[in-house]
Amino acid sequence: MSDATPVDSPASVPELQQRLRSRGYLAGRGLATAAFLGMRLGRPILLEGEVGVGKTELAKCLAAIHRRELIRLQCYEGIDTHQALYEWDYARQILHVQALSKLELADADAVGGLYSKDFLLERPLLRAIRRGGNAVLLIDEIDRADDEFEAFLLELLSDFQITIPEIGLVAATDRPIVVLTSNRTRELHDALKRRCLYHWIGYPSLDEELEIVQLQSPGVAEKLVEQIVAAVHRLRDMDLAKPPGVAETLDWVDALRVLGSANLNGETAADTLGSVIKDRDDLELVHAELDRLVADA
Amino acid sequence: MPDAGNTDAGNTAVADTPAGIVDRLVGFGHALREHGLPIGSDDLLTFCAATAELSPGDPSDVYWSGRTTLVHRRDHLPVYDEVFRAYFLHIATAPDDPATERPVPQGSTGTLNVPDSEPGDEQGDDQPLVLGLQASSVEIERHKRFAACTTEELVQLRRIMARIRLEPPKRRTRRQTHARSGARIDIRRMARDTMRLNDSAPELHRIDRKQRPRPLVLILDVSGSMADHSRNLLQFAYSMRRAAQKIEVFCFGTRLTRITASLDRRDPDDAMSLAAARVLDWDGGTRIGASLDHFVRAWGRRGLSRGATVVICSDGLDRGDPRLLADSMEKLSRLSYRIIWINPLIGNDAPPDALGMPNTLGMIAAAPYIDELASGHDLASLERFAAQLPTGKG
Repeated sequence: MSDATPVDSPASVPELQQRLRSRGYLAGRGLATAAFLGMRLGRPILLEGEVGVGKTELAKCLAAIHRRELIRLQCYEGIDTHQALYEWDYARQILHVQALSKLELADADAVGGLYSKDFLLERPLLRAIRRGGNAVLLIDEIDRADDEFEAFLLELLSDFQITIPEIGLVAATDRPIVVLTSNRTRELHDALKRRCLYHWIGYPSLDEELEIVQLQSPGVAEKLVEQIVAAVHRLRDMDLAKPPGVAETLDWVDALRVLGSANLNGETAADTLGSVIKDRDDLELVHAELDRLVADA
Repeated sequence: MPDAGNTDAGNTAVADTPAGIVDRLVGFGHALREHGLPIGSDDLLTFCAATAELSPGDPSDVYWSGRTTLVHRRDHLPVYDEVFRAYFLHIATAPDDPATERPVPQGSTGTLNVPDSEPGDEQGDDQPLVLGLQASSVEIERHKRFAACTTEELVQLRRIMARIRLEPPKRRTRRQTHARSGARIDIRRMARDTMRLNDSAPELHRIDRKQRPRPLVLILDVSGSMADHSRNLLQFAYSMRRAAQKIEVFCFGTRLTRITASLDRRDPDDAMSLAAARVLDWDGGTRIGASLDHFVRAWGRRGLSRGATVVICSDGLDRGDPRLLADSMEKLSRLSYRIIWINPLIGNDAPPDALGMPNTLGMIAAAPYIDELASGHDLASLERFAAQLPTGKG
């Protein structure tokens, strides 16, 4: 994908919606507007929302429709610049030094060569800067990283350049499309939020979700899809600790498709409930109300 | 969204001339600001630039470009919708609509009032201030029950508590630092040495994972029976907040309130009154089970208490269903590193060895999930509690 020439960005919000749709991603007007503006204004897009509503998927689709490389940085507690930006390949440097000294070639140039790009291990952020306009940078679950990392990102996202002491300034010629996602395990710093365009992704409506499932899993009987989506919406109304997201709906459809069930009834639902409900307490609660769940089936 | 797609209202559209458009957009920003949304000039610039990329005549485009550029938090969305409706669509919302509650700062109606001046100031000239008096009286008050203290004494105690420095338990992180007998060899450092020392065999350097403080989560009972203790603990929470980085503070009576942000102030009195103002149910009833359940659902599940020491301060006098309390305690114990329960009732008249003997229905329900039970009835016991924090299991 990375060697293909990037495609021009869409000229309007409906066009972007249309292109995302052709990739099987159904974006509402608000989400499409946020993505469109993010690209036009060169701003990062910050997506918050429930689990499994397609935050990460948007970045993948944006990369696909623009034929850009998707560069993903998964955040976690304790992530630091070595894992996110770059690192020197020390082991190779040692081998190189030893080889040079055996051949008695260690002059100033050879030593200078030790800190060339050959020995630089590129991590996602440096790669995104170098690829510039040919990349979509996905910074996933930023809320899991520490505050200090957030501050570092803030600096990087405003200029898209970094200085590597041994090499010098590395700057992006064009800005990559940047998508940040957060599950709100903690509040992000205001300064970072201000730099981004913000969009909250909620659960889709019944009709939207039907359309999503039909786009993603074509060929599944319409009646089954309707039953599943209706059941998932009932599940979301129940007092669950982990309400199912769109990803779980799709998993459920897949599970029933693989089993060859044409109908969602108490029995098939009980067999496949594990693909939608991932919590023991929730499972107990749902099992007790299984009949109500598939009432219209 | 509001019915912005509805273009038949003739006056919905933004003005025709470019300057007029900008005026309307900036005016909208000011209207939002008046309703309590924090909107900077840079936000307005982005908003205008964003609208220019779309079609400013289409209210739907104006709505979404404003929503992505001017709103940075989910809680602000209802306010944004309301102001948008009023400003562009001229639809007034009923002021008492609870769904559109504004985030304007509430009046400081808290019952926690800490005097600005030191208690010594109020004494007349006939009582000359003796240097050292404060220190000695502290010594006496160290074992005086909070319940028996006068207001002045409490203020003094709070000031002492503000000086308690805490060191919460530590956990290992992914980051590494050099160590004398670390688990791994520091290749990076040895490579540097090799290059510098040329051929001579380098020394073995080792690294190990760094330690960092575990997060602390304080859940304080502020109901009638506990209000006095909790005011003290709030001060305690403030000291903890200043001492360690990752601390979250919640209060509950009939419902749970998160007050972490209010404790960020530099001035303790300021922080206290701000926190008190946010807690709406001082001196109300207690629903421990429901409050903990809310905590688990809204915060614990999302990982706020993961790896954290959770400190609950309550007397365990629950008005709700003990089963709910047991349930939520069980979930909480799975979601956190360890649970410490401070129960001031224990220290009142029970002998020290009665610690750990639950005395109320709530405590009996919660007991199996408590890693450590402490009493917090006087300053000395709080200090003991603070001292034992670093020497936890890990």
